[in-house]
Amino acid sequence: MLRYLITRTGLSLLVLWGALTIVFLAIRIVPGDPAAMMIGPGGTEEDIDALRTRLGLAESLPVQYGRYLSDVVRMDFGDSLWLNRPVASEVFSRVAATARLAAAAAVIGIAVSFPLGIAAALKRGTVLDGLISIVSLLGQSVPSFWLGIMLILVFARQWQLLPSAGSSGWSHLVLPAITLAMPLIGVLTRLIRSGLLDVLHEDYVRTARAKGLSPRAVLANHAMRNMLIPVVTVVGLQLGNLLGGAVIVETVFGWPGVGRLLVDAINQRDYPLVQVAILFITASFIFINLLVDLSYGMLDPRIRIQ
Amino acid sequence: MTPANRTSPATLSDLVRNYTTGTISRRTLVQGLAALGVTGSLAGAIAARPELVAAQATPSSTEPAGELTLSLASSLEGIDPHGAFAVEGSTSIVITMYLDTLIARDPETGDLIPALATSWEATSDTSWQFTLREGVTFHDGTAFTSADVKASLERVLDLEGPLAPLWVLVDTVEAPDPLTVVINTTEPMGTVPVNATLLFIGPAAGINEDGFWNNPVGIGPFRFVSWVPDSELIVEANPDYWGGSPQLERVVVRDIPEPAARITALETGEIDFTYNIAPDQLPALEGNQDLAIDTTPSYTYYFNWFNGQREPYTDARVRQAMAYALDVDTMVTELMAGVGQRAQAPIPTTVFGFAPQTPYDYDPERAMALLEEAGYPDGFETTVQWNPGSGPQDRALIQTMISYWDAIGVRVESLEKERGLWIDDLVALNWDMNFQTNTVRTGDADFTLRRLYTTEANRNGYSNPELDEVLVASAASTDQAEREQFFAEACRIIWDEAVGIFPIDLIANYVYQDGIEGFVPVPSQVPEFDTVRVPAED
Repeated sequence: MLRYLITRTGLSLLVLWGALTIVFLAIRIVPGDPAAMMIGPGGTEEDIDALRTRLGLAESLPVQYGRYLSDVVRMDFGDSLWLNRPVASEVFSRVAATARLAAAAAVIGIAVSFPLGIAAALKRGTVLDGLISIVSLLGQSVPSFWLGIMLILVFARQWQLLPSAGSSGWSHLVLPAITLAMPLIGVLTRLIRSGLLDVLHEDYVRTARAKGLSPRAVLANHAMRNMLIPVVTVVGLQLGNLLGGAVIVETVFGWPGVGRLLVDAINQRDYPLVQVAILFITASFIFINLLVDLSYGMLDPRIRIQ
Repeated sequence: MTPANRTSPATLSDLVRNYTTGTISRRTLVQGLAALGVTGSLAGAIAARPELVAAQATPSSTEPAGELTLSLASSLEGIDPHGAFAVEGSTSIVITMYLDTLIARDPETGDLIPALATSWEATSDTSWQFTLREGVTFHDGTAFTSADVKASLERVLDLEGPLAPLWVLVDTVEAPDPLTVVINTTEPMGTVPVNATLLFIGPAAGINEDGFWNNPVGIGPFRFVSWVPDSELIVEANPDYWGGSPQLERVVVRDIPEPAARITALETGEIDFTYNIAPDQLPALEGNQDLAIDTTPSYTYYFNWFNGQREPYTDARVRQAMAYALDVDTMVTELMAGVGQRAQAPIPTTVFGFAPQTPYDYDPERAMALLEEAGYPDGFETTVQWNPGSGPQDRALIQTMISYWDAIGVRVESLEKERGLWIDDLVALNWDMNFQTNTVRTGDADFTLRRLYTTEANRNGYSNPELDEVLVASAASTDQAEREQFFAEACRIIWDEAVGIFPIDLIANYVYQDGIEGFVPVPSQVPEFDTVRVPAED
């Protein structure tokens, strides 16, 4: 187990280094220049060159890269060119806001899709199954910017039940979390339905029924557990996506999350901020995947690591 | 729901005045009186005959009360008045709350008026002397002196941000005594007073410290309380402001990037104030009885430059043909209803130095004749670069212009660029035509004409010694009437030579909850809030 963890950590560091390097190069290859952005359309080329030198951007790429890597190893992430504050604390507070949103969306997604998926599998081929299919298909295909604005129009403007945008209390969390949960509900419901249908035809389920277990016990103890692995995998991947990809929902609802920060930083060509935001998102993704892999062992003793 | 305002401890005279003017109900009056210890029959008597007390009540406007929540039209990207975002609209609004300038513009007349400086004069061709207001303190209590002005101006120059070009002629800044500042320039510089309206003063002791601008000490009508980027910024009344305490106790500046959410928040009362509403949304808000809308011609305008170094735009006839090809009146009526009007010069009507020019009336035949004269009987192929989000209806305007140009045989490809790339190409003159909005931040033609159209600036490839001469002379002059004449001449050359097409000036709109008083719509789109009052709550 320990050896497995060490190997995994080593691999994770390798992935992080790869992500760092790609980001470092990609943002510098993209046309556009932080110095020109800081000076604005009114600047002359001389002004821009002077600022580039001051920011250390006039040096060659290998020199910048070497300095950057050594800073990262020492956990020195530098200051944002744009916000002029330490990058790490800025990114951290934004990751926290996004994590709150992603967690709420995951809870809603799981709480809604399990009952729907189970009901659809047990009532396969009925009208109910058809309705649930439609709902999950809609959840997957409705664009979040449209859904978000519709929720604002209905719940904030029409019924005035919830605030339209902002991030100060629980009431602000509801609409963005629902918007973010919809695609998750779509995917999970279909996955749970098909997973259960597969498992319900397995021999061990027939055996469990034959030995006289109640339908509920068959479902809970035998069928469910065995279809959880793909579900956990997808939830893990989706959570990772939510962390980095909530930018549309964050923009529609004015949520100060890391997705918006990253997009703003890219628009400002704020190299340090972009690099650290991606580092954080990558690290979260890796960590969630590690948890998912470890959970396999708990769910299925056959793949428990020796 | 954010409470739009909050009842604050009031004086007897405030209460009675609000009651007699109908701002508060009888119940609120009696509650207020009780809070002041006035109960029973005395309170009843005051409620019945308020005029007896009101006659004694002096109009008191010193007690700040209530909270105003506003949403910016675009995200607030920085609050440093000297740095990269100094001239962004959102940044300007916020720094005007917690900081102050040497000279201000009267919001109603646009005239230059004393602020932190009580007087200023050109003491020689190349030096300006400011006398500072005595007894002004920063929000932490330290006295405001000439050292703060010197440090702030030097910081603008050091940071090389968008304000720095305004002060390139500055040689030295002297602070001979605590209330005198002398700005020495290398050449005569007539724009020192107007540029001073954009020079925000911070305390010399802090402004260059790390982290100062995360929690700045200001000097304006409101004190800085907090800022969470992409979320909200809060300021509170500074009762000791030299110009008198603001009327509002607190202003909350919220960031709502999505226009639909911003308008919903206004309609539901979550926010009290916003501005720059898009033309397609404006009619819906005009029908809303609970909202007031103020509009005024702004300092912002659209322009379409030609790259004067590239064929065929080296020929004035081609540039003029492109102007005659556009039916600007139709563009304004169909696309810009309520938010734009036909431009009459290379700078908006509101700007000092504006002089109306002969319009390029829609005349495709004349346009084609000019093209033929210039040697392009079959038109030509070209491109226009632009950055989406520059102004209202930018995409629709580009598409419309392209189809008008197509009608005279000029086939234009639209190059929509992301902002970073667009700026790079703009500065490098890597474009055929460039379409964008621009705001004359200082309200003075120097900011636009002299800064952008000289051969030395080389911002659009156009070079004309005659124009250079006029613009250089305008910069040197300190006589306002003379400057106005120079700018009129510059307007004429730029317009007649069609250095660019100047189709539309934008109209600013400000929308707020009905009942909010004391707001003055300004052309700069940087409204001030120190005179704004919110109605007391029932």
